[in-house]
Amino acid sequence: MKNFVLLLFSFISINAFAIDDAKLLIRDLNKKFNQVEDYTARVQMKFNIPGVRMNNMSGNVFFKRPDRFRIRTKGIFFLPKQNPMQNMSAMLLDTSSYTSIISGYELVNGRNCAIVNIIPLKSVNELILGKFWIDVKNPLVLKTQITTKNNGTIETENVYSATSQYTLPDKIIIKVETKKIKMSKMMSVDLNKKAQDKSKLNEVETGTITLSFTDYKINTKFSDSELEKTGE
Amino acid sequence: MKEFAAILKNEMIKTIRRPRSFIGFAVISFICLMLQGAFYQDGKEILATVTGQLDNVFSIQGNILNGNLICYIVLQTLIVQMPLLVAFVTGDLISGETASGSIRFLLTTPASRTKIVLAKWLSGLMYTFLLLLVLGIFALFVSRAIFGVGDLMAMNSEGLTVIRADDINWRWGSAFLIAFLSLSVVASLGTMLSTIMDNSITPIVTVMATIIIFTIIGMFDMKSFDLIKPFLFTTHMISWRSLFEDPIPLNTILFSCGVLFLHIIIFLGIAIYYFKRKDITT
Repeated sequence: MKNFVLLLFSFISINAFAIDDAKLLIRDLNKKFNQVEDYTARVQMKFNIPGVRMNNMSGNVFFKRPDRFRIRTKGIFFLPKQNPMQNMSAMLLDTSSYTSIISGYELVNGRNCAIVNIIPLKSVNELILGKFWIDVKNPLVLKTQITTKNNGTIETENVYSATSQYTLPDKIIIKVETKKIKMSKMMSVDLNKKAQDKSKLNEVETGTITLSFTDYKINTKFSDSELEKTGE
Repeated sequence: MKEFAAILKNEMIKTIRRPRSFIGFAVISFICLMLQGAFYQDGKEILATVTGQLDNVFSIQGNILNGNLICYIVLQTLIVQMPLLVAFVTGDLISGETASGSIRFLLTTPASRTKIVLAKWLSGLMYTFLLLLVLGIFALFVSRAIFGVGDLMAMNSEGLTVIRADDINWRWGSAFLIAFLSLSVVASLGTMLSTIMDNSITPIVTVMATIIIFTIIGMFDMKSFDLIKPFLFTTHMISWRSLFEDPIPLNTILFSCGVLFLHIIIFLGIAIYYFKRKDITT
C-alpha cells in the first residue's frame, strides 16, 4: 500500500512539474508574442501539392493581433484551411482556453525541444489537440502538429534567424496530407491521356507549402484595409 | 501568279458569301455567349466539383473564374464541334460545283486544275482561320472583358496546373496556331473527299463521320484502341492542350504538329492528283 501511494505521489509530482514546465515555456514564448502587435513582410511561396502543379510566387504578408493574417498577391495560390500563421500565436496567447503538458523531449534541428501538448478546455473549439515543439533554451516553436475537427492534421516546421526574438520565422514548411484530385476524362477532355489509376486515387500523399519571409516590418501600425479581401 | 491570285480572290469571295459559312460564325458566337452566360450564373458551383476535392484541406485564394479559364473551357468544349463546322464548308468546295455543273465553267478558265484545287483549298483555310478568329475574339477577349484576367487553373487528367497570367498570352497564340493546323487537316480532308465525290452531302457526312468515329476511339481506354490511336489525326488535334502543362512536352507537341502537317500534305496531294485525272461528266 505504501509503495502504491509513493508511486502515485511520484506520478502526480512528475505530472505537476511537466505542467508547470509547459506553462513556464508558454509564458516565456507569449512574452515574445506580446512584443508583436502587427507586422508586414515579403513572402515567397513554394508549392508541392499532389496533383497540383504551380510555380513559386511572391507577395506581401500582413498580420495583426490576435489572429488577422493575410497574404496579398496577384494570382491563384493555395494555403491550408487552418492557417498555421494565424493559429500559433492566437492559440497559445489565450492561456485560459487550454491546458498544457509536456509529453516528452525531442531534438529538432539539433535543438532540444519540449513537446508541449495543448488540450482545449472547451469542446466548442475547432482545435482537438495542438502539439508544439518548443526550444527549451530559447523558447521558440520549431515544429507544430495541430489537429482540428474539420480540417484534419497539419504539421509545420519553423526556421528562425534575425527576427527570432519576436518569434517570427524566416521559413515555415507546412505539411498537409491530401488525396490526389480525381479528374474525369469528361471534365479534363484529355482524350489522349489514360484515365488515372483508381487504386492510387485514394492514397493519401503529403503535400508541402514553403513560405519564406523577408523584410519584416514590425509594429508599423498599417491600415486595416490591407487585411480586407479585395478582388485580387 | 496574277491568274492564281484572281482565282483565289474569286474562291474566297464565293466561300464567304455562301449562307452556310455564316452558320459556322453564328454557331461559334452562340456557343461562346451561351457558355459565358452559364459560367457567369453558375460558374462557381461548376468549379466546386473540381476544387471541392481540395476544399477540406486547402483554401484556394485568388480569382479562379476568370477569362482565361472560360476560354480554356470553351476551347475544350469546341474540340468536337469546330471540325464539323469546317467540314460543313470545305466538304462542299469542289463537289458542290461538280453537282451543280458550274465546275465545267471553272475549268474553261486558263488556270490549271492544280491551281483551281489549291485556290479552293486556300479559301477553305481562310474560312477556317476566320472561324478561329471569331472563336478567339469571343472565347478569349470577350471572356476576359466579362470575367477579368487572371491565372489559369488548367484541368487535365493528371490534376490541376496553374499557369500564371503573365505567362499565358504566348501559350494562347501557340494554341490557336496548333488549332489552325488541326482544323487545316479537316479542311484538307474535306477538300480531298470533295474532289473524289460528285455530290455535296457525301463528303461533308464522310468527314463528320470520320471525326466522330476517331474521337470515340480516342475516348476509350482499351488496349485494342491504343494500337490505333497514334495513327488517328484526331489524337494529335488536341495537342494544343499540352501547351498548358508544366513542363511543356515540347517533343510531343512538335511530333503531333509534324503528323498533322503530314496529313495535310497527303490529303492535298491526293486531292490534286485525283482532280487532275478526273473526268467531269456532269
